[in-house]
Amino acid sequence: MRTLSYQLSSISLQLKRFFIFIGEIFALFFETIRCTFSSPFYFSRLMEQITHIGYGSTSITVVIGLTMGLVMTLNFGYGLAKFGGTLYVPAVVSLSLAREMAPLFTSLLVAGRVGSGIAAEIGAMNVTQQIDAIRALGTSPVRVLVVPRFWALVLSLPLLSALSFAVGILGGLIVCKTEFDIIPGLYLYKVFSTVKFHDYMSGLVKSAVFAGIITIFACYKGLNTRDGTKGVGLTTTWVVVTASILILVTDFFISKIFLVIW
Amino acid sequence: MEQNLLELKNIHKSFGENLIHQGVSLTLKKGESLGLLGGSGTGKSVLLRSIIGLERIDRGEILFHQERIEHLSENQLTPYRIKMSYSFQNGALFDSVNVFENIAYPLFEHTKLSYDEIKTKVADMLKLIDLEGKEELMPSDLSGGMQKRVGMARSMILNPEIILYDEPTAGLDPANTLNVVSLMQKLKQKGIASIFVTHDISSAIMLCDRIIVLHQGKIIFNDTPMHFQRSDNPIVQKFINSKE
Repeated sequence: MRTLSYQLSSISLQLKRFFIFIGEIFALFFETIRCTFSSPFYFSRLMEQITHIGYGSTSITVVIGLTMGLVMTLNFGYGLAKFGGTLYVPAVVSLSLAREMAPLFTSLLVAGRVGSGIAAEIGAMNVTQQIDAIRALGTSPVRVLVVPRFWALVLSLPLLSALSFAVGILGGLIVCKTEFDIIPGLYLYKVFSTVKFHDYMSGLVKSAVFAGIITIFACYKGLNTRDGTKGVGLTTTWVVVTASILILVTDFFISKIFLVIW
Repeated sequence: MEQNLLELKNIHKSFGENLIHQGVSLTLKKGESLGLLGGSGTGKSVLLRSIIGLERIDRGEILFHQERIEHLSENQLTPYRIKMSYSFQNGALFDSVNVFENIAYPLFEHTKLSYDEIKTKVADMLKLIDLEGKEELMPSDLSGGMQKRVGMARSMILNPEIILYDEPTAGLDPANTLNVVSLMQKLKQKGIASIFVTHDISSAIMLCDRIIVLHQGKIIFNDTPMHFQRSDNPIVQKFINSKE
């Protein structure tokens, strides 16, 4: 009986902690939006973060985009060739890239690169009392640190996904020409006649939502980092794992919504 | 009768089961320096953090110019945090920007001064803390004592009415301690009130108008440095002797 009551109280405590955590995540999100639409807005910090977060992620985006395009085209090409469906390769690859692969893989990579960076930077600032200093000097850590990072990634990640898509299409074009004798003109015609506006939008909206998830969770965890450098290490790991899982789960629901709408 | 600049009434604070303050009350007048002494873990720093709103108290009142501030939100606290600044134990400098940007930060945030005016003010402040021409150095290039002084410069650049010093001389060699203490003396001469958390009894006696001793969450001594030295309170005696 005592064990059961202990287990029940432990579960209720964990549930309480979980709901507090969810509440704090939403509070940080709403505070970020509130600070965005009230002065001062740090435009220079936003530009600095866009350069750091967005421009700094272009090289890995190009690598992942090109690799996806090359590998997917190769696999779909040989798979469909067995059924005489080689001509469908550009359509399949471009649709997969636009709707799923480009936004998803780019976001997962950016979650690793940028999410961990944000969490480590803010976490280190927290354990060295720099966040307290920002507050003690009459300024808001959300306004100074979270808002520029949030908007920098929300603006940059859709652009990075678009870049990843474009480079992926280029990779597909190279494989189609060299392996399956599909001329570039036909390949591009098939791509652009298959991928519609809502397919592009699906990828862009997903990327923006994923960007929001990455920054809010990374900033939240950074602002709540404790226990010195050990805490900073735990924070970065937690952010990458949590953001990646949430990206994958959210991807399903956004895909479903877009399929219902269009 | 001169009004209190700051007044704490019956402050209670705990972290879980751990009771930190159990009815702490004190006052601070304009230009007055108050030394806050006590053993490790008696809540001296927590009291400073509570005054500026970095920690929330469980019960009691904090009055600044007779206005209650303990219940205010972060945004509502902003004007008070401009008039009442906090000097962190380790300086808490922003490590990604240089000395100039660290000291200029409050000016960029809270004033409409031009860049040139800010540059002049920062240069004057660096002169005051004996770090003239060090604007371009990064915090990592500075010694511990220099970092503390830059942190103090940042906290006083907006000419606050009160500075809360959290162990400004902790971990410093005698020469650096002297530099920091003489800087605090200069600020005292300017009429800035202060609360000075320290373990350094000699600096507290030199600088402060009143000394307060915290013990087990309560104030057990609140009087002038002269009376502090002559106190027959066994805890105060033990504290003085342990530092000798």
